[in-house]
Amino acid sequence: MLRRTLTGLALSTTLLAGACFALPAAAQDARTITGAFDVGPGGMPGNFNPLSATAGFTWLNLYFEPLVIYDAALEKIVGALASSYEVSGDQLTYTFRLAEAKWHDGKPFTAEDVRFTFDLAKNAASGSNFAARLTSVASVTATDARTVVVKLSAPNSGLLDTLTKVMMLPAHALSAMPVADLARNAWWSTTPIGTGPFRFTRYANGQFVSLAANPDYRGGAPKVDRVVNRYFENTAGAVAALRSGEIQFTYVEADDVANFKDDKAFRVIEGNSYVVNYIGFNQEVPLWKDARVRKALMYAIDRGQIIKALYGGAAVPANCGYVAPAFVPAGIDTYAYDPAKARALLADAGWAKINGDKPITLLTYYNTPLAGNVMAAVQAMLAQVGINVVPRTVDVPTYNATVYAATPDWNAFPLVYAGLQNGPDPSIINIGLNEKQLPPAGANIMRVRMPSLSAAFDTALGETDAAKRPSRYQDVCKAMNESLPWATLWVTARYGVASTKLNDFVWVPAPAGGPYEAHPEHWSITR
Amino acid sequence: MPRTLRYALRRLLVGGAMLLGLSVLVFLLLRAAPGDPVDAYVNPSVAMSPADLTALRVRFGLDRPLPVQYLAWLAAAVTGDLGYSLQGTGDPVLPLVFSRLGPTVLLMGAGIALAIILGIAGGVAGAVRRNGAVDIGLSVIAFLGISSPAFLTALVGLYAFSVRLRIAPSGGMLTPGAPFAFGDLLAHLVLPALLLSIGHTALIMRYTRASMLEVLSADFVRTARSKGVPEFVVVARHALRNALLPVVTLIGSTIGIAIGGAVFIESVFNWPGMGLLMVTAVRARDYPVIMGAALIIGAFVIVLNLLTDLAYAVVDPRIKVG
Amino acid sequence: MASSHGPTRRALGRFARNGAALAGIGVIVPMLLLVATYPFWLQDGPNSVDLMARNAAPTMRHWLGTDGVGRDVLARLLQGGRTSLLVATLSVSLSLVIGFLIGAVATFGGRWADTTSMRFVDLAMTLPPVILLLVLASIIGTGIGPTVWVIALLSWPVLARMVRARLLEVREQDFVVAARGMGAGTLHLLFRHGLPNSIDILVVYATLQIANAILLEAGLSFLGLGIPPPAASWGNMMNAAQSTVVLEHYVWQWMSPGAALVLAVLAINFIGDGLRDAFDPRSGLS
Repeated sequence: MLRRTLTGLALSTTLLAGACFALPAAAQDARTITGAFDVGPGGMPGNFNPLSATAGFTWLNLYFEPLVIYDAALEKIVGALASSYEVSGDQLTYTFRLAEAKWHDGKPFTAEDVRFTFDLAKNAASGSNFAARLTSVASVTATDARTVVVKLSAPNSGLLDTLTKVMMLPAHALSAMPVADLARNAWWSTTPIGTGPFRFTRYANGQFVSLAANPDYRGGAPKVDRVVNRYFENTAGAVAALRSGEIQFTYVEADDVANFKDDKAFRVIEGNSYVVNYIGFNQEVPLWKDARVRKALMYAIDRGQIIKALYGGAAVPANCGYVAPAFVPAGIDTYAYDPAKARALLADAGWAKINGDKPITLLTYYNTPLAGNVMAAVQAMLAQVGINVVPRTVDVPTYNATVYAATPDWNAFPLVYAGLQNGPDPSIINIGLNEKQLPPAGANIMRVRMPSLSAAFDTALGETDAAKRPSRYQDVCKAMNESLPWATLWVTARYGVASTKLNDFVWVPAPAGGPYEAHPEHWSITR
Repeated sequence: MPRTLRYALRRLLVGGAMLLGLSVLVFLLLRAAPGDPVDAYVNPSVAMSPADLTALRVRFGLDRPLPVQYLAWLAAAVTGDLGYSLQGTGDPVLPLVFSRLGPTVLLMGAGIALAIILGIAGGVAGAVRRNGAVDIGLSVIAFLGISSPAFLTALVGLYAFSVRLRIAPSGGMLTPGAPFAFGDLLAHLVLPALLLSIGHTALIMRYTRASMLEVLSADFVRTARSKGVPEFVVVARHALRNALLPVVTLIGSTIGIAIGGAVFIESVFNWPGMGLLMVTAVRARDYPVIMGAALIIGAFVIVLNLLTDLAYAVVDPRIKVG
Repeated sequence: MASSHGPTRRALGRFARNGAALAGIGVIVPMLLLVATYPFWLQDGPNSVDLMARNAAPTMRHWLGTDGVGRDVLARLLQGGRTSLLVATLSVSLSLVIGFLIGAVATFGGRWADTTSMRFVDLAMTLPPVILLLVLASIIGTGIGPTVWVIALLSWPVLARMVRARLLEVREQDFVVAARGMGAGTLHLLFRHGLPNSIDILVVYATLQIANAILLEAGLSFLGLGIPPPAASWGNMMNAAQSTVVLEHYVWQWMSPGAALVLAVLAINFIGDGLRDAFDPRSGLS
């Protein structure tokens, strides 16, 4: 009796196991594109409210659309739901002419929706992240069904950049909801309504989101029936899924690219990360008061070798907060690798008395193996000139709690290895370096108080003549290069890998995921 | 049996008190961790001013004094409202946790089932041909299984079977977007369950083997053999049944530990279970989810312990309850 | 004629006849020696970065190759061995102390102390280990000290239960009853009678727990907690396997710490089993 039971059990298990392995690993519809759109720094998995999104715009842009959007080169701002726009001479009035579009539930897209969205975006109670950036918007009026006039109280050169991220929302669906309920509402993850080429179908918590084609899209019916966004706990899982053919696209870490470079089945997409990596000097710590010490640190790190060896050459050395040629003046110091000079500078400054070889914490939140290697290399290079840094990797909440604390412990972060988005709009790093942006007003966590630098930023931000702006930012770059509030290191490239089965697939590693003109209605997949 | 009933009620009361203590402990531990949900939400590379962060804190109710926050949570919890997740779209905690319990139970159940079948089979095979090639081979595999770190086995297994051999899906529980198919579920379940079972299989195999060896040399077995009973019947009918008793106890304790989820396997395979939920929740300092999960798991363990104790009492009349 | 040796001698004798346990010692002792003495015979340090020689396969110059920044893998392996074994030993010692004291308090402290401490142990065991692990590690931070505490705090409840069970047995023995009758104090009872009679379970538990702690440290490092780089530990060396390039092409970087860890854990498990069989040949399975 027992024997028969055991035998039966063994037999059925074997059969079952065999059946599983015999099944195709992934039976997929030929007209479905599956990708890991929210893996990597540009993604924000599980967030479906575009007003409270700080990233993940690549995916959101598949079913929501903003008024204006960056082109795929992230250089110009072109119209999206606004077919055209005009800026008045005094830069206080923006007029948007709206395209003909329909919401996913068939209702027409009108200027009332734009006015409604602006109201929501300016209202912090709705959970909007954009409230602080839209304070200069004084009024938004719908002059007719297809025209919106936005009046500002003061010129704001960053307004259009901000508007590229504000997705238009349907007034007819949301105006009845109390504003405070909107922030984390089930509507976003069950029945959101947008104007994009795809419409929302389903969200499986922690696993995936799927969209279906919107045949009435104003840009034409999409070529594929469905797009699926799979969530992965880490990049390694996404890469495994890509290589086993289950997904057609994912973001990959720089050191994983080597696996795909020579593989004919995949296409490697490289783009600017728009994040400048730097070692920040905590100005409240007396170690860094002497500019010679800060310069010594710059001279001691062989950025060229790290870029070549660890980033495979896919990074540009940064000698100030920018690397875009328009914002970098000629003749700034390139701080070429010179350990002898570094030691001389340190001796001049009396480093032995200031600190000697006491360990200095280098705090960071980057926890990838690549970042670990970079920190090790930096530690070794600095040790050679007599600066003893001890890298300390913490998770993001711990890092933020340390640097934003109301009464911070300065010795917990005398140095940080961090990154700050520096584009596409150059004004964006003001918040980290201007004396006016000291916490709690801004994010100047390194407590940088350099009058020449702050003045340069103020001039650049207030510059109304678009032709003069690049040279203003060149002045900012020069000031940063001379006074070294940060030891700016490099701007790396970021990578995505797509299967060659995808046609007309556009992806750019834009900061926060963009958004940018990806034209998802043109994407198609060959069997 | 009023006595057993009184015992059960008393245990449940104590269990309730323990859950309360548990919730206080978890609450305090969470607040002691550096960084709160807002700190976890902010990406350091995208600058946000502390003023914005304070506004967020007020929205999440994090600016209230600690006792107020705890009592508010407790008041809602006793009515069954465990709050809303602070991540993403703020899914309600109770349905969220339950939706993750299913996959975890499925994974752990499959892993344990595999471990039982493979372990007993392996242990019997090893005992019957003691010190033969099969025995030594199985022992080696068993020992390797107990000694390997779970995440490494998971990474290597995923790479070998999914990427290289392409015979297993590379993660997740179901093929996204496809209608639910039992075969699809099984296909996704096999590899993680197999890798999960390695440690347990090895343990059960060793115990079964040792137990079988002991039983096989017992008097009644020798009697059966001397009566001319075929060897296979001796093993299967006489020896196995007796040898399995201590193994059953082992299985019982294994299940008890299982409810927390297999963090490493779920992490590598993106299996939407409790382990993964808690890893992401701790990373995001998602207080409601962590408190809710701790409470629910704690409740399960307490009830399970009570049921086990009651079962023993029923089975063995010598054990007095109460 | 039965042997007239004392129980300890007999236990040692049984241990000496256990092939697997001896093999375990044969692996662990050389490992400890290598790990302790490597600065004397290995020319590279575990932290000498050499970007030009990164990701090199094993050669005569670097016996186990180099890692992502050109550090010698063998040097990091041995240094990592120091770290991992140190963390394991320290955490086990700590949990031994905590577990023994709590178990002792439960046994000798009177009825009330017993109930509260056992409820406390139950509470600690009800807490899902995953949550405890992650939250504790987030609170306490990373590094050798914090990791030691996290692992110790995870492991003491089981020991406390075991100690209490054993001490309850010991408490009822004649010589202890007699000692109490003669007015012996609690501390005297504990350390003169309790501790020596618990040594066997303590030793067996400690040995098996060291193996467990090594695995736990590896797992913590995988989750980004535990011992962070650039300090070497077997756990954070294996973390490199997350990158498919490393997993496929630079196999020596993760297989070396993996093999070393498996070997160490195996050997320690054999020793622990041997000790358990030696102290109580009938205990076998429970």
